[in-house]
Amino acid sequence: MIRFIGGRVLGLVLVLLATSFVVFGAVHLAPGDPVSFLMRGRPITPEARAALTEQYRLDEPLLAQYFHWLGGVLTGDFGRSVQFRQHVGTLVAEKLPVTAILVGYAALLICAAGIGLGILAGLKPGFADRAVLVGTGIGTATPAFASAIALTALARTAGWPTYGGGEGFGGHLKHLTLPAIALALAFGGLVARVTRAAVRDELGREHVEAARSRGIAGAAVVRRHVLRNALGPVVTVIGTMVAGLLVSTTMVEIVFSVDGIGSLLIKSVTNKDFPVVQALTLLIVATFVVVNLVVDLLQPLIDPRLSLTGRGAR
Amino acid sequence: MALLDIDGLSVVLPSGAAARPILDGVSLTVETGEVVGLVGESGSGKSVACRTVLGLRPAGARTSGEVRVSGRDVLAMNRGALKALRSGEVAMVFQDPRASVNPVRRIGDFLTEGLRAAGVPRDRALERAGELLAEVGIRDPRGALRRYPHEFSGGMLQRVVIAAALAGGPALLLADEPTTALDVTTQAEVIGILRRTQAQHGTGMLFVTHDLELAAAICDRIYVMYAGRVVETRGARELFDAPRHPYTAGLLAAAPSLEPDATPPRPIPGRPVSLAENPPGCAFAVRCGYATDRCRTETPRLAADDGGAVACLRADEGILTC
Repeated sequence: MIRFIGGRVLGLVLVLLATSFVVFGAVHLAPGDPVSFLMRGRPITPEARAALTEQYRLDEPLLAQYFHWLGGVLTGDFGRSVQFRQHVGTLVAEKLPVTAILVGYAALLICAAGIGLGILAGLKPGFADRAVLVGTGIGTATPAFASAIALTALARTAGWPTYGGGEGFGGHLKHLTLPAIALALAFGGLVARVTRAAVRDELGREHVEAARSRGIAGAAVVRRHVLRNALGPVVTVIGTMVAGLLVSTTMVEIVFSVDGIGSLLIKSVTNKDFPVVQALTLLIVATFVVVNLVVDLLQPLIDPRLSLTGRGAR
Repeated sequence: MALLDIDGLSVVLPSGAAARPILDGVSLTVETGEVVGLVGESGSGKSVACRTVLGLRPAGARTSGEVRVSGRDVLAMNRGALKALRSGEVAMVFQDPRASVNPVRRIGDFLTEGLRAAGVPRDRALERAGELLAEVGIRDPRGALRRYPHEFSGGMLQRVVIAAALAGGPALLLADEPTTALDVTTQAEVIGILRRTQAQHGTGMLFVTHDLELAAAICDRIYVMYAGRVVETRGARELFDAPRHPYTAGLLAAAPSLEPDATPPRPIPGRPVSLAENPPGCAFAVRCGYATDRCRTETPRLAADDGGAVACLRADEGILTC
């Protein structure tokens, strides 16, 4: 167990290292000059340009810049934002809560609606099943930003609250409902479909019929033998969904003018604010890897045949 | 009154526009304490017949006839009565213990689930589960309760399944090919446990198998099924020594024998047909060496003869003695 986690943590570090290099390289290879952005097109004296180049180490070779940056990251220093002239860490910490609430809210909606509809469709063939299939098909095919735009239009005509900052946690929650729904529409369908397939699969198992043959009540058979056994694939798909959710958040935040890390990321990419882009990309990758580590640790609890140490595995 | 009395049971599956028959007029009885074999090839409908005794019907199936357990018709029971029947009077042992036990729940859970549903308190149910495991020869029953199905061998897990079947103190045990999925060495052990517990509790048993010799060895009486119908029934000894249906004789001739001077096994030519694709006349006629034109047009009825019954138009001609 400890060896397994140790191995996975090592893997996590390697993935982050590789990602950090790719991101660092990509940002620096992209056309455009941070110094020009800093001066906002104003003329600049050669001395000033040299000073800025010195400050951001733009004249050093890429690898040297990378290792300098990496050294900073390891000590918790992600550098200074070019556009906001603030420490990246402070900046991200400031914007993170609202995005965390939004993603958590959306994940909650996705799990509740996706799993609920999936169970309904799996257990009740016929109209309910077909309705869920069609609905989730449309939802999955529509990108989150498209539903976001449609929802803002709808909200404007209906007079619902769109995002306006919000006071405290409750205020955030109220104003983040529509963005969360936009995200949930795009990802809930996938969860619903995987849940439906898993429930169908388990319903056809002989141990389910055997449980019925032992006189166990229908509701208990569904709860203890169908849903319990269908959990594995559902947890896996929710884990892999997290990365997509974080990426889609950026567009949804822009559409709803939510001042979170999604908006920050888009602004930073447009403005060549490379320290921020690097930090946020690393954050997204790290979240994805950590969530999937948690999913892998959960699987043996769901299905005891998937023992971590390999002992007793078939 | 017989413990189990299946009377003229027919099952029809609706598949699209054309209804597909599975069973046609199957009748059989099991008395208290009696072991009755139900033998046939795959697709003969023996498992379907067995499962209807618990009210388990294929999805959308229409049934006619009666399946009476202690005089009460299972097919007419409401949900509550069925639940009581399944958790008490009748229990079933399935073919493959790996498939019939939920792999993600503990053995203790599996064994106590039925008892708990019947209102037995948790501690008492666990105690009873331990006793049942000891009865079927599981070492360290208390420890076994905390283990998962994949930690048991197939034979050991089938013992657990038998223990679970005995939990409700059933009067009738249904065994649907209980040894087919097991290693040969463990088959004998499982059969031994089934026979011993059945004799101890005076339980009636319906033993479904494709192995006529195994059935002959452990059953009092045997029903042979072909394409959804019973084609022959009589006492196990008589059936084994002097079969009167060509299909029964073919099954016996198809089994290899260890005797030095035995004839090599002769397979029945052709493949088993289901009731649905059944031509008019006797379903076995296309594979039967004795079939006449009459066999291909006239469906034989199960007619009583000395000590049993046979459904063959030429049974009285003594064709099988030569």
